[in-house]
Amino acid sequence: MENLEHELKVKIIETLDLSDLKPEDIDSEARLVGGEFGIDSIDVLELVIMVEQGYGVTIDSKEVGEKVFASVRALAGHIRANRAS
Amino acid sequence: MPVRVFVVGMGAVTPAGCGVPALLETLQAGRRRLQPLTLFEANSKGAMPVGEVPGDWCGTVCRGPVSCDGEGEDLPGAPGGGGSIPRTHAMALAAAREALGGGEAPDAVVLGGTTGGMGLSEVLLRAGKEDPGLFRLHGTGTVADYVAQRVGCTGPAITVSTACSSGAVALKLAMEMIRSGRARRVLAGGADCLCRLTYFGFSMLQLIDPEGTRPLDRNRNGMTVAEGAGMLLLEGGLSDCGSPMAEGSSPVGGRGQAGSGGEPFAASDVPACALAELLGAGLSCDAHHPSAPHPEGAGALAAMSSALADAGLAAAQVDYINLHGTGTRDNDAAEARAIAALFGPGGPPLSSTKGAVGHSLAAAGAVEAVVSVLALRHGFLPPNVGLAERDPLFEVDPVRRARAAPVARVLSNSFGFGGNNASVVLGACGEHVVGPGCDKGGARATAAGSVDACGPLRVVASSCITGAGHADETLAALEAGRSVAGVLPEEVVTRELPARSLRRMKRLPRLTLALADAAIKAGGRPVSGVYLGTGWGPLSETWEFLDKLFGSNLEFSSPTDFVGSVHNAVAGQVAIWHKATGPNITATSGDVSFEQALLAAQLTMPCDGSASCLLAADEAHARLSPLFDPSATAGLADGGAGLVVTGGGKGPGIGLTRLARASDPASCAADLVEAAGGPERIATRFGAVFAGIPAARREQGKAILDRFLANSGFSGAVVDYRPILGEFASVCAVACAWAVNEVSNPSSRLASGKGIALLGLGESVSLLEVLP
Repeated sequence: MENLEHELKVKIIETLDLSDLKPEDIDSEARLVGGEFGIDSIDVLELVIMVEQGYGVTIDSKEVGEKVFASVRALAGHIRANRAS
Repeated sequence: MPVRVFVVGMGAVTPAGCGVPALLETLQAGRRRLQPLTLFEANSKGAMPVGEVPGDWCGTVCRGPVSCDGEGEDLPGAPGGGGSIPRTHAMALAAAREALGGGEAPDAVVLGGTTGGMGLSEVLLRAGKEDPGLFRLHGTGTVADYVAQRVGCTGPAITVSTACSSGAVALKLAMEMIRSGRARRVLAGGADCLCRLTYFGFSMLQLIDPEGTRPLDRNRNGMTVAEGAGMLLLEGGLSDCGSPMAEGSSPVGGRGQAGSGGEPFAASDVPACALAELLGAGLSCDAHHPSAPHPEGAGALAAMSSALADAGLAAAQVDYINLHGTGTRDNDAAEARAIAALFGPGGPPLSSTKGAVGHSLAAAGAVEAVVSVLALRHGFLPPNVGLAERDPLFEVDPVRRARAAPVARVLSNSFGFGGNNASVVLGACGEHVVGPGCDKGGARATAAGSVDACGPLRVVASSCITGAGHADETLAALEAGRSVAGVLPEEVVTRELPARSLRRMKRLPRLTLALADAAIKAGGRPVSGVYLGTGWGPLSETWEFLDKLFGSNLEFSSPTDFVGSVHNAVAGQVAIWHKATGPNITATSGDVSFEQALLAAQLTMPCDGSASCLLAADEAHARLSPLFDPSATAGLADGGAGLVVTGGGKGPGIGLTRLARASDPASCAADLVEAAGGPERIATRFGAVFAGIPAARREQGKAILDRFLANSGFSGAVVDYRPILGEFASVCAVACAWAVNEVSNPSSRLASGKGIALLGLGESVSLLEVLP
């Protein structure tokens, strides 16, 4: 579980070019969108594509997206629950 | 200025078919012309609904009044842009011919465009084609150039690229050209074809409704991307309340027309064939977010209010609103809030016609202006097709079925990425309307009046970037007689900018934000408008988006890169950084992009002493620059310049005195000497001539320059600046910043206490004056 969260943090930093951050700077339970890192709606879409490409999990509505991207932990949970085994 | 502007011809190529009658029939019958994509392959998500122009229009182009055989060109617009004439160009020409109706050529063409030849270029790029000749119609500005050439227009062909408001912004510029006496007849509109860049781009943004757009519906779920072209032929007429023309206006049109003899044209009476009157138009920028509208619709409200003020109308006088109404959750909500704020409870009937014909991006503003004229002419309210259950945010129930109603005044909205907003007001002919010039003895309302009445723009501060560095390094190198051409490392470009804010930006926005930041800091005052010229737009974002898209077999690409690939994304960022909520116009037309941005500023800057930021920049891209820019053969170079300008006040003055399509060298040279006021004025006012001759037009440009110097007997310094500053489209801006610096310096050997004339000697010729 923590491995997936760590992996996601690495991918988030890479995808969003948050190059001044390290994975440990991101709290798994902290608010991801609209939080301290300036992640906004376009970044969320960038992450949607990262998740679809990397894990085969589709997130296709804003309503689902808001829940899924609430935090790194929520995102990891959604991926685990929906990933094709 | 009491010149009124009339619509005297219209053309439309839309998913309803080729021609205005097809559009009218679709609207009156309430048809929905949306269907799953067939023009090119979709991806594994399936073909989503789009608005494709049906396949029979090509014949209309080729069998129109002018044949398109004879130039060895393939049939235009094959599906997916397979022919050698890109689909957008062909659609634009078909609509232009319909609007002109075989009549005389216009003095100028002003078009909105976002993708230009991309429908063809993306096919060529995917196939790995590397012959630059295949990309000769890639540039967004080539659509207007192509149309101007084919309809015989020798005046300027101007292109604005403000995303989905482009068509309406083009109408605003065309209207101001006529009002200011620069032209009498202007063909204005917009065109965009469906292409992979936009279809998959909006798809990656999750903005496409898989069921087809349902504007204003409580359950709406996105837009439907469409294609098309809309054209309006505008003509100036005499106001019934004043003298025909302002004096001292400086025409930029072609030879032998308005003002070329130094005298303003005599405006005719209301043209007999007038279909409607273009009463006013207003522009604004959200300065809020690259792709999302301001949640309360603040920018939309400002654009509508400005358009009504320009028309001299109160909100209560509007009979119908043609909404932007794309069908996305956020856009429709923001527009509803803006309308509630402006019109209060109740308000006029309204509808979005995008449920019928989709959203044709840069064409939409022009197509919807055509729809507005149809509503005026035929006395009906066009329906909001696709609506089941109204979103309660809209207090007025949208028009559900076409119905007859007296319509005398229509407000039409167009809003775009970058927070670019435009609203236009059209009125029925014969309605007695008090225009902006008609109150108090012809004084224009300052809220809407252009600065032309205040004289040339004054430069408060400037910045530039070249291969040598920022302004200080560049000017020092020039003073020492060294070339500054090259590509400045990115970390030097952005040395003054906060790193975190740049994470989503590639080279062009970085260059532009650095230029704007330096100029605005030096100017020491806030700016309201932002005007940007860029020949090729954000090449890195465009390349990356297509590369990822094709690399994933159309499955994935970056939404960030799509939003950033739009030409006006950069000016939108400048507006966000500097809270600039005034007009925000990106002009793109190859080597005269800066000149066109300057013209846009001269035409639309408010005459209230406020400052605007005038910018031009291009990025060198190792793969795309050599394919697109025929002058980028002598090694890569890029950069640009930024100026803070005001209407009136102190400081060096800049103004565009001439812009026309190049003809033979003798005529061009004679025209430029005349535009500069003749040999005597040239000797008196100018210490130096800066000549910009693009490498691809070296021979022709040199011939024009030699004749210009011979005809004028000019004996001052002549600087052939492109080999020194670099071969890139917007380099004229750097030359302008250099000239501003020279004329501000009393000991300048180049200016010798006088001004500097900048000549652009490429496919278009231009004269830009920098005066102390």
